[in-house]
Amino acid sequence: MSPEPLLEIAGLVKRFGGFRALDGVSFSLGPGEVLGLVGPNGSGKTTCINVISGLYAPDGGEMRFAGRPLGGNAMHRRARLGINRTFQSPRPFASLSVRQNVELAAFYGHAEGPRADIPALLASLDLDSLAPRRAEDLNSAQQKLLDLARALATAPRLLLVDELAAGLNPAELARMAERLRALARGGMALLVVEHLLGFLESVTDRVIVMNAGREIFEGDLSAAVRHPEVVRVFLGSDHAG
Amino acid sequence: MLLHALLGGVVFGCYFTLIGLGLNLVFGVMRIVNLAHGDVLMLGSFAAYFLFHLAALSPLSAAPLIVIGFFLLGLPFYYLVVPRLAASRDAEMLSFILFFGVQQIIEALAAIAFGSSERSIPARVLGIGAVHLWGQSLPRAWVISALVALAAVLALYLYLYHTRLGLLTRAVMASREEARASGIDIHRVSAIAFGIGLALAGLAGVFAPFMLGSITPAMGSTINLAAFAVIVVGTLGNPLGTVLGGLVYGVGLLMMQTYLSAWADLLPNLLLILVLLVRPSGLLGRRVRLA
Repeated sequence: MSPEPLLEIAGLVKRFGGFRALDGVSFSLGPGEVLGLVGPNGSGKTTCINVISGLYAPDGGEMRFAGRPLGGNAMHRRARLGINRTFQSPRPFASLSVRQNVELAAFYGHAEGPRADIPALLASLDLDSLAPRRAEDLNSAQQKLLDLARALATAPRLLLVDELAAGLNPAELARMAERLRALARGGMALLVVEHLLGFLESVTDRVIVMNAGREIFEGDLSAAVRHPEVVRVFLGSDHAG
Repeated sequence: MLLHALLGGVVFGCYFTLIGLGLNLVFGVMRIVNLAHGDVLMLGSFAAYFLFHLAALSPLSAAPLIVIGFFLLGLPFYYLVVPRLAASRDAEMLSFILFFGVQQIIEALAAIAFGSSERSIPARVLGIGAVHLWGQSLPRAWVISALVALAAVLALYLYLYHTRLGLLTRAVMASREEARASGIDIHRVSAIAFGIGLALAGLAGVFAPFMLGSITPAMGSTINLAAFAVIVVGTLGNPLGTVLGGLVYGVGLLMMQTYLSAWADLLPNLLLILVLLVRPSGLLGRRVRLA
């Protein structure tokens, strides 16, 4: 039996002027589930995360979290409700230390229950030795890990992951995939936007493929790569069966 | 003569730091340009003028009242205007237009209410005589104005680096999106910063009659130009960099008034053009802009 949905999205619309970045997107996600969101550049994947996290206000559709409408909750309130995200290009608080970056999120973005164990969290992401360093001194891969640590410090029930794998080497990719699987095993729902399909395959087999703001496929990743519409979108009409 | 110009320049530099401080804080936190900054300063000047002439309150006694009053005025004004502006796709550009309109309205209403004649507060209310430094004598009112400006810089530094709200302010300055994702209510933090920005402008206004000679409803535009030169030199978005910009401006102004007095009014324009051509990120560069 599938768990009760934690996140329910129905007919989500986001427009930028005359451009419909999201055009009626619908899906649901339960606790412990991992859903991949793939598609070419400009297909609406990151916009989807931006709308769910509260960075952008939607122009239509419904979003429910844990059975309640998300409505006009601002982003910082959604963080406290248990929705958090990583950023494609993180911009941590540059002059603050790694530990301070994470502590701020743990203090202000935490919803309820015991606060995150910051030393353990940093150690789990191999950031413990970097804890006293200023965030601006980290390389881009380390800043991505810090961004993940910042999001996890708020103890989210739903984590929106935006291209976390970009720039990681194969060993780091394998470790990151295992981390995400472990979070899901712990009951966290994950929506993962990713271009690296190999990485995504190691995290989940359920994906939504998007193009021009619409879902064109939902199901197994292995079936997606054989779907004519998906092949056409990624490789052009010459390759579609 | 050179030493006098240098000392006077440093004193004026402290005051011009105060002029730019609030404008730079608001830009740093909200990434919006408050073109009405100079007119808020003008309102501070008139508040001090009327408190002195109608209530016999000295500028030093009026200053805390004006700081608190302008801070409190800033909070509702922020919530009325800025969140909508910040949600737009080009907030920086729209803020130019919106605050230009606000500037025009303030200036027009002030001209109707106060008339266009020049007004002043006698410098003797800040003490009679001169302050002697290294054999040079400087008007007491200048030195007191500079000391108040330094106190304001110190207070802002303590706020930003030694209070929890200041830590949140620096976090919002570094990245509004990461701050929101960290659970920080950026509008609460920004509203307080906006209020502080107006309070600093109001405080600078209190001492404008002593540093700038006289006050009129039309003085805001001139003040804006100087304030922009100061914060562009000192690095946009870095409030404490304003100190450097203020000192460069103050020393430059006094040197020009001493040796090239006919050209002194061109200083803000020259500084703006020079910095934008040679080092557009300001003297401290972008690195320090990232809170």
